[in-house]
Amino acid sequence: MIDVFSYVPAIVLLPFFSFLIALGAGKYLPKGGAFGGVAATAGSFLLSLWVLATVAGGGAVNRTIYTWASAGGIGPTDVELSFGILIDPLSALMLVIVTLVALLVHVFSLGYMNDEGETGLPRYYAGLGLFTASMLGFVVADNLLMAFMFFELVGLCSYLLIGFHFREPGPPSAAKKAFLVTRFGDYFFLIGVVAVIGTFGTAQFAGPESFPALADAALNGSGSVAWTPGGVELQTWLTVVGLLILGGVVGKSAQFPLHTWLPDAMEGPTPVSALIHAATMVAAGVYLVARMYGFYALTPTTLAVIAFIGGFTALFAATMGLVKDELKQVLAYSTISQYGYMMLALGAGGYVAAVFHLTTHAFFKALLFLGAGAVIIAMHHNEDMWDMGGLKSEMPVTYVTFLAGSLALAGIFPFAGFWSKDEILYEALVHAPGEPLLFGGYLMGLLAVPVTAFYTFRMVFLTFHGEPRSDTARDPEPVRWNVKGPLAVLGSLAVVTGLINMVPVQKVLGLEGIDLLHRWLDNEWGGIAGLSSHHYADIGPYSSQYIVGGEVATVLVGAAVSLGLALTGLLVAWQLYNVPSPTEHTAKLGGIKDVLYNNYYLDELQVWLAYRTEDVAGGADTFDQGIIDGVVNGVSSVSLIGGDRIRQVQNGVVSQYAALLTLGLVALIVLLGVTGGWFL
Amino acid sequence: MILEALIAVAFASALVVLLSPNEWAGRLAFALSLIPFAGSLYLWSGFDGSGNALTGGDIAYQTQIEWLEVGGRSVSWFVGLDGISLPLVVLTTFLVPLAILSAWTPIDSRQSQFYGLMLFMQANLLGVFTALDFFLWFVFWEAVLVPMYFLIGIWGGPRRKYAAIKFFVYTNAASLLMFIGFMSLTFALGDSVSSFALPEITGAIADGGLGSFAGLAPETLAMAAFLAMFLGFAVKVPIVPFHTWLPDAHVEAPTPVSVLLAGVLLKMGTYALLRYNFTMLPEQASALAIPIAAIAVISVIYGAMLALAQKDLKRIVAYSSVSSMGYVILGLVVFTEYGVGGATFQMVAHGLISGLMFMAVGVVYNATHTRMVGDMAGMADRMPVTVGILVAGAFGYMGLPLMAGFAGEFFIFVGSFAAPALPYAPLFTALAMFGIVIVAGYLLSAMQSTLFGPFELATDYEVGPAPFHDVAPLAVLLAAIIVLGVAPDIFFEMIRDAAVPVVEGVSVDG
Amino acid sequence: MTAVASSIPPEWYLLLAAAVFCVGLFGVLTRRDALYFLMSVELMMNAANINFVAFALYYGDLTGQVFALFVIALAAAEVAIGIGIILVLYRNFGVTDVTVPTEMRW
Repeated sequence: MIDVFSYVPAIVLLPFFSFLIALGAGKYLPKGGAFGGVAATAGSFLLSLWVLATVAGGGAVNRTIYTWASAGGIGPTDVELSFGILIDPLSALMLVIVTLVALLVHVFSLGYMNDEGETGLPRYYAGLGLFTASMLGFVVADNLLMAFMFFELVGLCSYLLIGFHFREPGPPSAAKKAFLVTRFGDYFFLIGVVAVIGTFGTAQFAGPESFPALADAALNGSGSVAWTPGGVELQTWLTVVGLLILGGVVGKSAQFPLHTWLPDAMEGPTPVSALIHAATMVAAGVYLVARMYGFYALTPTTLAVIAFIGGFTALFAATMGLVKDELKQVLAYSTISQYGYMMLALGAGGYVAAVFHLTTHAFFKALLFLGAGAVIIAMHHNEDMWDMGGLKSEMPVTYVTFLAGSLALAGIFPFAGFWSKDEILYEALVHAPGEPLLFGGYLMGLLAVPVTAFYTFRMVFLTFHGEPRSDTARDPEPVRWNVKGPLAVLGSLAVVTGLINMVPVQKVLGLEGIDLLHRWLDNEWGGIAGLSSHHYADIGPYSSQYIVGGEVATVLVGAAVSLGLALTGLLVAWQLYNVPSPTEHTAKLGGIKDVLYNNYYLDELQVWLAYRTEDVAGGADTFDQGIIDGVVNGVSSVSLIGGDRIRQVQNGVVSQYAALLTLGLVALIVLLGVTGGWFL
Repeated sequence: MILEALIAVAFASALVVLLSPNEWAGRLAFALSLIPFAGSLYLWSGFDGSGNALTGGDIAYQTQIEWLEVGGRSVSWFVGLDGISLPLVVLTTFLVPLAILSAWTPIDSRQSQFYGLMLFMQANLLGVFTALDFFLWFVFWEAVLVPMYFLIGIWGGPRRKYAAIKFFVYTNAASLLMFIGFMSLTFALGDSVSSFALPEITGAIADGGLGSFAGLAPETLAMAAFLAMFLGFAVKVPIVPFHTWLPDAHVEAPTPVSVLLAGVLLKMGTYALLRYNFTMLPEQASALAIPIAAIAVISVIYGAMLALAQKDLKRIVAYSSVSSMGYVILGLVVFTEYGVGGATFQMVAHGLISGLMFMAVGVVYNATHTRMVGDMAGMADRMPVTVGILVAGAFGYMGLPLMAGFAGEFFIFVGSFAAPALPYAPLFTALAMFGIVIVAGYLLSAMQSTLFGPFELATDYEVGPAPFHDVAPLAVLLAAIIVLGVAPDIFFEMIRDAAVPVVEGVSVDG
Repeated sequence: MTAVASSIPPEWYLLLAAAVFCVGLFGVLTRRDALYFLMSVELMMNAANINFVAFALYYGDLTGQVFALFVIALAAAEVAIGIGIILVLYRNFGVTDVTVPTEMRW
């Protein structure tokens, strides 16, 4: 039997080779090296499917494959830093999602970049390849350090791709912002990594010697950790460590307050946005929390914070999405908001729900971005929705698939997003009693539902319905198979992905076994001990309470409320914008409109902070040049001036030299006389 | 005898190049500088040392020949390599040929003298990293300053004289302080040592051989000597607040000289700190752990803030060197294997990365004749390969994983976070780590305004891609940085081996 | 002769030498002409010679007299060089005043 897991590194390396090929030889290859990328991601996708099948057949692996730095002392203990692969149901699923989305994005890029005559294609495909490889390396990582390293590489790739159009002023600035803001989060993440290694002497995710297992054992008294900072209790310290690592998650997954980079990142080419939002960079943060959920489940405070941040971000970002004029901007805020839901789920103990939403969101958000890309091609790169309108008759494939994605995003039954979002809200609801932060998160998540539906359909109606509002909208550029193909694939996935986890149906109708994802993540087919949803529930702080009667009633009421709210939002959008020539209704919002339009002035705040930092730096420079270097130069000046004064004695008049000599002699004699006692 | 051969070849090639005609001095110097590089690779392949050279480990390629006697103690030609010095020797011999290549374009007068001085400096640098006798070491240490002084003073920018004199006087005065500190130690050792061999002196101090000298009790004397040597080396490193000569020297020095200044000369300071202060006097070092860690953190943050305020690309890289060297000090003072090993690794990593940055900035400067941030924009449009490598190097500087800088910094952080020898270690480490955010801030800002956006240049030169011999060393350096980042163990394993005895010099309870 | 010389107390010789030396010193300090300088220096050297000879007599040791001979030879050489310098001085500056040429300063 072939050991499929020995091919796992190939999943990562194939896109990496496509990066090397595109970088080195892209300009000599047809399509700027695109086919290499397509072939590589297709290969990775097939291998991932094989891995998925193997995991379904009971296989799983946690294996160190490369020693990065040999064992050495760090004070309390010795550590060895290594790379390895961890393949369990979660990472196998994620591999498939990432490789599939990457493959489709590569294909779509043929239409979006090549057919549009962009320059610098080798650089583009090299970036895509490296991006995919980094994300895949992150997904298979078996320890926190390796995860951090690929996490950072993902950040680099986002920088390179967001700033792809470097000859314009906007993209380099957006790229810088994306890297800097996420770097700020990664600073805390890095402290967290170092703290984990210092505390446990290992950064492994899985196994009996992994840090979640050690933390668990130490907390229930059956083990101990290598080190905690003096005077800090273990529980408190673990919470601190958890929050530190969360810093990186908040940065990459664009949660409040580090979400500001993501809307700016729309400066990148649209397929890149699809990749960033659906399957790579932004997903990385949430995936990280899921990956080390065994650790987070041990610290209730961290979970509550995660839930609250998530719920808040979900609502906060959704409100900003209400007033945006540009297609991709709306999608950007929807991404922030949807990842807020995933964080809410994770904080609420809904590990499976979060992974479920991660999966469905990957498909429908990739779909929406690629659909937006198709629209942008059609509109000759004009993204303003007020110049669109009436596109549905001109581009039916795009319209239908985009609509499917929108329905999923808005959480309308029976599209994928409905099931996952419903499960998140359900998990939050049943775990919320007695947890004020979690309950707050739940309420905000619930409030965000109608807002989401509203802005989603405002976007749909403005783009595709009504009368065309510009010449390009009347005569859009047609798109080819390489655009429609990916849309079709993702469109069908957006419709059916919900089927993998029919928990409400199971509970209401009593059908056993259709909660496939639950069983999948519970290692029912195979997996690694200590990495199952049951284990997480066991060590987690939550117990379910049904505030509205029994379980079934809660399920039904919860689903009905969220669906009702979503439909309300949809209907309002229908009323306002599904008219032949819609108008802006934002004036009714009054002052709030400006606040929303300016993103609550958070960008201004961050820019202000950046400028103040520069002021401090300028002050430091003045201090350095004036005081510190001043002292150095002062010492030199004193010597120079002193020397200059003293040498004036050397005036060239021989008589004076003689006089000085005589004086010196007399002084010497007097001195000798006084000390020798001649004059006594 | 191969070490002697290496140093002798370096001196001889300096002489040969000095006497050669200007027209082909550059090519000759490059060819000759490859000999020491090949030699150091040979040394590496046959390296059989273990442990630390100063604490009784097995010294590879050791030669010890009595030379003369001073004050009842013998001075010997004593050279050898251990896991700490070998990587630095390889770094030196690797950087010099590349620096010489990068000089072909900018150096257009008195070439034979320029390349001769470069090779002369290389010979002395090799001496500094291999000498195990104090007098021998001190001769090389001081002799490095002389070619540097002329290299800055003759081929430098408009304020070259100011910069060269500042560099020379400042570091020389510091050497005096260090010399006094070390000599008072040897006097206090009295009859317990019979030579100036560093292993013997280290052993004698560890065995409690220090007596009183000049009316000072042994403890007071050791502390005073530690402080004198620390201050002396601090100028060389440089540590805030003794750093102000560095930006001036870098800005005025021609590119290849900057490469060696940042790449190798700064490492002399940290290497000497490790050898003298932290290996010979570990107790004093750990007694002063908090103040030393504090100035390390200040160096990191303050240096980075200064870099943020600069408008001259070279000044930015110069100040960020101050910042990076702060990490090294932090790694040394925590006395863990990963800390000390990481600090040594960071010396090599920073040598490569700062060398790359200076070289890349130099290549841009060759084309634009300006280094000011506001004077150019969109250079990526005209010199894509150079800019690509510059961007990669900048990310290496920011500590991008799988590049050497990350490995060095991460080893230091991991080694220092839970270090028992340093009180409040997590706090110091976390503060120092903030440097990685600021470094990203200033490098990204500088790159955005100079490399990207629409092409613009204050002057109206025709700007095209750089010649091959300018770009090739950049690519080689980048490759080395990536190799070292992916497989740090090629150096880290031997470094760690040599760091273990240093760590054991400090006994920490609990 | 010897008896007379040795009957004189050594302080007298020393006082004479000091007086001659001071005359020479006075000349060096007050005169500005290089020739006067030279002559004054001659006087100072002869003051030293008196001391040498006096002490040689006093101690009955010929070393002092030998030294006096050395000094005389030295003085002769010095005059030769001194006159040469004065000639060059005159050729270059047109004067023999030592306070005028102050090129060798700072």
